[in-house]
Amino acid sequence: MLKIKLRDVRAVMMAVNFIAVLFVSVFIAVTTEWICSRYEARDFLDTLHAIPVQPRMNVIVVAVLYLLLVVVFTAQEKVYKNRPGRIYLCLVLEFVISAVIVVVMNFNYNGIFFLVFTGVIYYTKGERGKYLVICLALISFLLTDAELLSINYDLYSINDYFNYYDASVQQYLVGGYHLLISLNIILFIIYCILMIQQQRGTIDEVNMLYEEIRKTNEDLEKANSQLQEYAKITERMGKTKERNRLAREIHDTLGHTLTGISVGIDACIATVEAAPKETKTHLERISEVARNGLLDIRRSVNELKPDSLERLSLESAITKMITDMKSITDMQIFFDCQIRQLKFDEDEESAIYRVIQESLTNAMRHGKASRVRIIMERQEDMVVVTITDNGIGCSHITNGFGTKHIMERIGMLNGTVEFKSENGFSVIARIPIRWGEEYD
Amino acid sequence: MNREMKRKRTAGIALLCAVLLSAGIYGCRSSRTTVLEVGIFAGSNWDVANANSYVIIDKAVEKFESMHKNVKVHYYSGIRKEDYSEWFSRQLLRGQEPDVFMVLGEDFNQFAEIGAMKDLESLMASDPDFDSTCYYSTALQAGQYEGRQYALPYETVPTLMFVNKSLLNREGLSVPDNDWTWDDLYRICSYVTKDKDGDGLLDQFGTYNYGWTEAVYSNDAKLFDESGTESYFNDERVTEAVRFTKQIMDLNGMQKVSKDDFDSGNVAFMPLPFTEYRTYKTYPYKIKKYTKFQWDCITLPAGTEGGNTSVINTLLMGISNHTKKEQLAWEFLKLLTYDEEIQMDLFRYSQGVSVLREVTTSRETEEILQEDMEKNEKFIDNALVSDVIENGVVTPKFPKYADAITMADNEINRMIEDDDNVENSLRILQRQISKYLRR
Repeated sequence: MLKIKLRDVRAVMMAVNFIAVLFVSVFIAVTTEWICSRYEARDFLDTLHAIPVQPRMNVIVVAVLYLLLVVVFTAQEKVYKNRPGRIYLCLVLEFVISAVIVVVMNFNYNGIFFLVFTGVIYYTKGERGKYLVICLALISFLLTDAELLSINYDLYSINDYFNYYDASVQQYLVGGYHLLISLNIILFIIYCILMIQQQRGTIDEVNMLYEEIRKTNEDLEKANSQLQEYAKITERMGKTKERNRLAREIHDTLGHTLTGISVGIDACIATVEAAPKETKTHLERISEVARNGLLDIRRSVNELKPDSLERLSLESAITKMITDMKSITDMQIFFDCQIRQLKFDEDEESAIYRVIQESLTNAMRHGKASRVRIIMERQEDMVVVTITDNGIGCSHITNGFGTKHIMERIGMLNGTVEFKSENGFSVIARIPIRWGEEYD
Repeated sequence: MNREMKRKRTAGIALLCAVLLSAGIYGCRSSRTTVLEVGIFAGSNWDVANANSYVIIDKAVEKFESMHKNVKVHYYSGIRKEDYSEWFSRQLLRGQEPDVFMVLGEDFNQFAEIGAMKDLESLMASDPDFDSTCYYSTALQAGQYEGRQYALPYETVPTLMFVNKSLLNREGLSVPDNDWTWDDLYRICSYVTKDKDGDGLLDQFGTYNYGWTEAVYSNDAKLFDESGTESYFNDERVTEAVRFTKQIMDLNGMQKVSKDDFDSGNVAFMPLPFTEYRTYKTYPYKIKKYTKFQWDCITLPAGTEGGNTSVINTLLMGISNHTKKEQLAWEFLKLLTYDEEIQMDLFRYSQGVSVLREVTTSRETEEILQEDMEKNEKFIDNALVSDVIENGVVTPKFPKYADAITMADNEINRMIEDDDNVENSLRILQRQISKYLRR
């Protein structure tokens, strides 16, 4: 609604300016003829400060230029509404045409610049640019003031033509002329006021948007504090996980060692009477295993890290584990590593080591196996660890501590574990190779 | 795509039309003859009878048209000098002024002020064939306004002193030499001023129309500065000149010398423009005026501080500030004012003096001038005329000059008549005029 009003004011201004421009040029042309017909040209010349160039021609030139101005205005409003480049071009054109009109009229009417200002105010965007353009426009208006210019330049003034007439006629002419000028300025002020009101509307909108942003911000803060609480919970969960891990660790090392000791002692009980000497060396080995286990536990408690892994590479750690195992049991263990270079992260190494360790323990304790085969290979982007024994296996796999731990460990590495109980027992662990890291 | 092509084609056709149209207009224009408008008036600028008003201009037009093909020169004939100013002003107001035009002395200041005439400085400077020093500097100066050349001189006229030879002979006096002074003038005037028939009234006089301005000009005095912001009426030389004029006037007592006294041969001296001399000293107008006595012309008497100088009047020609044929207008202006042949014709068909030094001082001129004289009489020496022009006085060019000089003339004539103290009155006048000029 406001926009329509602005456009209406502008249309009225356009009409007023047209009348003013025509009034000035037609008045000068008509007065010239009137003076000439009365043979008063020479006397009139004495009152002039400059002479107009072809007053009759001026009327046509001014009218044509004004029509051109109207065309540009219309194009700006209707055709190039959404094309800022064209709109600025139109503004420049309007300014140039107006300037030419003002010059042709010898600066006797420069109110036409107000018409251009309306466009400038309406269309220019951006604070600094807007003020710059408005400043330029105002300066051009001030500089084209006839009285000001006549100080340095010889200009013919419409006032000289007014003065030709009798005082009684003169007052109406001057009155009419100034009425047009004032009307134009008043319309311009109205336009500005409307413009300001419209801008105030925009400010209200901005305020509303700001309020919305503030609310959203509050919501965000709330969400943030909730997130912090959640983080605390997660932390607590982490602690729980850590505790579970500890339990696993103790089971792994302690359980492994104790299993080895108990199996070894069982063997000693069986052989102690028949071969006391061998039993003695056997016991000595058991004792060593127990001491190792003890050391293992100490490490785990201190650093939660297997000592063997710390000192040795994964492959040699596994090999050592197998050697240890072989020395206390009769189990035959084959280890086949098909991956040439083993470059795993600590958690992976640890998981693989523990999976093998657990599987061997299970094979010895539950499967009573005499032969175990361990294969480590690469299948596409997976590292596959297969541990197969020739023990009794089990018809259905109970979720004992061992298998559960294996699954947990591999699951943490996004891998999968498969248990098979055909011709013994086999554990197949598939661990995805981490992208971006070289295993090869 | 289709639409795009269509649009392109329309644009192309429009462009082609525009090109053809402009080419057509250009072609028409170039093949059409250009018309150069000239504004001149009939009769003499010096208010003497002249039967050959258009002879010189017609010759010039013919010469110009033969030099420039496709150019026609057009002038309105029959505009009298007294109507010329109004006619020209009307053309000016309508923006239809001629390209080249004559400017009357009284119009020059105002026309220059409102920008009716083109500033000729750049045209003069850019023309290699033009040398402004060929003109009499005083004649050239007449066309300058605020230090810039707005018009070129066409014809100039010095002021001379008419001498009634019969009267001087009767009184046993000889005609003064051309280097005579105020003292000589006063001596002769006081000698010839007398009551011949004894009726108690003077009936023979020394001067008629010899005013304070003539005295000022011959005493090397200056009344105004160039820009017209200062006046120098209380200058010693002006005071002296006014005092001398008063002495001369006082010889006549309370009586006023009239034109009748002069025409009936009872006045010894009268300042007179060269044109008068030329017209009425030679055939055919010799029989019309000053027939009752023998007469001749000499220079004006020199003041104590100055020389035998007098004011010169110059008829000027300018170019319209709005002309579209600047170069043609300049060529035509140059032909009228700078061409020796045309300028020589001034002595044949007009009564003034050429503005070109070469032409005025030439043998040919001397012969032309002597042609129409009676056998036993000799025309005034053209070298002397040339000197008078060279050293002549040009009235200042500023907008308020006409009003200021009228004010001063009224006031000084009043103070001479009322027997006021010259020095005091001039000091007051100086203040009044300066105040007026600064307003």
